[in-house]
Amino acid sequence: MIQLEHLSKEYNGVRAVNDLTAEIPDGEIFGLLGPNGAGKSTTILMLVGLIEPSAGRCLVNGLDVARDPITVKQQIGYMPEDVGFYPSLSAEENLTYFGRLYGMDIRTCTRRYSELLPLVGLDGVKKDVGGYSKGMRQRLGLAKALLNDPSVIILDEPTANLDPQGVADYRQIIRNVAREGKTVVVSSHILEEVSRVSTSVGILSAGRLVAQGSWQNLARDIAAHSPCHVTIHIETQDPIPEFSHPDLISIAYDHEQHGAVIIARSDIRDEVADHLAEHGVRLRGLSREGLSLEETFLSYYQVAG
Amino acid sequence: MAGKRLFTIAEKEFFDHVRSRKFLLIFGILLVVAIVGMIGGIAEYNKSLDQYNKHQSAIQSPLSSYMPVKPSILSVFSSVATYLVFVGGVLGIAMGFDLVSKEKESKSLKILLSHPVYRDEVINGKALGGILALAGALGVVLFIALATLLVYGIVPDGNELVLIAVFAVVSFLLIFSYFAIALFLSTAMDESGSALIYTIIIFIVLSVLVPTLSNNTVTEFVIGGQPELPQELLDQMQVTPRNSSENSAVVFSTKISAQGSSDAWDRFNERMNTYWEKRQAMHDTLALLSPTMNYESITSSITNGISGNTLVMSAGSGMTTNAFSVSRTGDAGIGDKLGKIAANIIALLLFPSVFFGLAYIRFMRLDVR
Repeated sequence: MIQLEHLSKEYNGVRAVNDLTAEIPDGEIFGLLGPNGAGKSTTILMLVGLIEPSAGRCLVNGLDVARDPITVKQQIGYMPEDVGFYPSLSAEENLTYFGRLYGMDIRTCTRRYSELLPLVGLDGVKKDVGGYSKGMRQRLGLAKALLNDPSVIILDEPTANLDPQGVADYRQIIRNVAREGKTVVVSSHILEEVSRVSTSVGILSAGRLVAQGSWQNLARDIAAHSPCHVTIHIETQDPIPEFSHPDLISIAYDHEQHGAVIIARSDIRDEVADHLAEHGVRLRGLSREGLSLEETFLSYYQVAG
Repeated sequence: MAGKRLFTIAEKEFFDHVRSRKFLLIFGILLVVAIVGMIGGIAEYNKSLDQYNKHQSAIQSPLSSYMPVKPSILSVFSSVATYLVFVGGVLGIAMGFDLVSKEKESKSLKILLSHPVYRDEVINGKALGGILALAGALGVVLFIALATLLVYGIVPDGNELVLIAVFAVVSFLLIFSYFAIALFLSTAMDESGSALIYTIIIFIVLSVLVPTLSNNTVTEFVIGGQPELPQELLDQMQVTPRNSSENSAVVFSTKISAQGSSDAWDRFNERMNTYWEKRQAMHDTLALLSPTMNYESITSSITNGISGNTLVMSAGSGMTTNAFSVSRTGDAGIGDKLGKIAANIIALLLFPSVFFGLAYIRFMRLDVR
C-alpha cells in the first residue's frame, strides 16, 4: 500500500508537487497521468526515496520513505523513464550486481535473472548492455524492477520505447504481478497506455492532483463535464424506429431510415443499441464521432490547469 | 549489511578498473618506465659504488681529506620517481575522472541509488575500488622493481626495505591525490569530458605551475636576491666577488669558516640564514599546494640521502641545494629521515583527504532528477 500525505516539493521557489494526497491499496494498478511537467516524475522520485519532499510524506507499506529509505527501497521495484545500466556488463551481470545490492546471494541472483530475462524477451542475448537498443534496455529495466520480488512496483513511462510485442508483454506482466497482490504505479502521459492496464487513475496538473478514482468513474465524470457534444452514427438493415432520450439533442434519418446521425449531450450508444434490439432491428454499425479519449483528457488538463 | 553493500560496490568498481582498456594501457606504460628506470638506476648505483670503493682505497692516504658517502640502494628508485610523477598522475586521473560523471551520463546513477544503498556507501565504495586497483597496480610495480634489484644481485637491508616501503606509500599517495581530484571533478561535472579537462588543468597547475613559482627567478623576485659577501670579507679572502646567481654560497661556506669570529662574517651569516629560511618557507608553503612538489621532496630525500630540508627546484631550474642546511644523511637513522619528511608526508596525505572530502560532500548533495 502507498500513502501520499500532503506531499509537496519545491525547486527554487517553484512548486513541482503541491499538497498531493492519495492512497493506493494493495493489488491496484494505479495510473499517474498528467502532461509533461505536471509533477509525475518528481512524485515518483520522492516515492522511491531519490529526493526528499519539501513537505508531507510518502508511506510505503506503512514506512516513511524519508525516514526509513533502506527498508522501503528493499520493498520497491523501480524503473525510471530514462533507464540506464552499466554498458560494459551483460544483462546477467547488471542484474547480479543490483541483486547483490538487495542482499541476494549469487545463487538467488542467478535464479531470478533466469526467470526474468525470458519473461521480458531477453533470454539468450549475449552482448553487453552497451549494445542494446532503447527498447531492449526498457525490457531489462522491467526485469530489474521485478528482481527483488517487490511488493510495490513503480514504473515511469514504461512503454516509451517498446515495440508492440514489448508493450503486450509488459501489460501481461503488470496484470500478473497485480494479481499477486502487489501494488503497481504506472506514470505516463500516454493515456491509451494507462487506460489499458490501470485499475485506478490519478490526474496531476501543475503539481496538483486534480482527479482520482477508478478508470470508469473518472472517464464518465470527464465525459459528463465535457462541454462537447457527441455525434453517433447508426447504420441498420431494417428501418430505425423513433428514439427519444433526455440527452438527445437531435436525430437526422436518411431517406429509408436505414441510417441516422444522433447528436447528444453524452455518449448514449448503449441506450441506442438497447432500443434497436427491443424493436428487432438488425444493426450494421454504431460509431461515435467526437473528441478522442486523449483529447478529452487534454481538455481536462487544460480546464484543471 | 552496510559493509556488504560497500564491498559489493567496491568489488564492482575494482573489476571495472582492472578490466578497462585505459587502466591496462597506462599500467603497462607504468611498468615499462619502472623497469627502464630501475635498470638505469641500477647502472648509476653500480657506477657510484665503484667510485666509492675507489675513494675508500684512496682514503688510506694521509693526504686525503675527502670522505665519500656510500651510495644508497634507494638511489636506484630516483629515476622511477621521476617517471612516476607524470605517469602516476595520469593513471590517477584516468581512473577517477569519469567515476561518477559516467554514471550520470549512462543514467545508471539514478537506478543505482534507487537500490537499498546509502549515498556514502556508493562514493566510499567507488573510492575503495579505485584505491584497491591503484594499490594493486603499484604493488605489482614495486614487486617488479624489487625483483629487478635481486636479478642484478642487489639485496636491500632492513632499513632500506623500510625506506622502499615509504617510497611506495608516498608514490601511492601521489597517485591517490590526483585520483581524488579527478573523483571530485567527476562528481561536480555532469559530463566526463568536462571533468577530464578541468582535472588536467588542475594537474598542470599543481605539477608545473606551482613548482615553477618556487624557482630561483620567482623566489628572488618575491623575497629578494641572495645576500652578497661584504667587501671587507672579500678583501680578506682575496676572492673576486661573483654574481649571486652563480650559486657561490658553497665557496663561501667552505673558505670563510676560519673567519667565523669576525662581526662581519656573523652578520653575513645571519643575513644568509634569514634568506634561506625565507626561501625555505616559500618553498614549503608552495609545496603544501602541490602534491608533486611534496612527492619530489620526499623521494629526493629518500633516494638521494639528502635531508628533508633540501630545496628541490624543478620545472627547468634543476636541483639546487641550500649550502647552509645540506647535511649528509648517509649514516642518519630511518627515524631521523622520516622525521624530516614527516611534514611533506602529512601535506601529501592532506591532498587526497581534502578532495575526497569535497567529492563526498558534493555527491551527498547531488541532484539525481
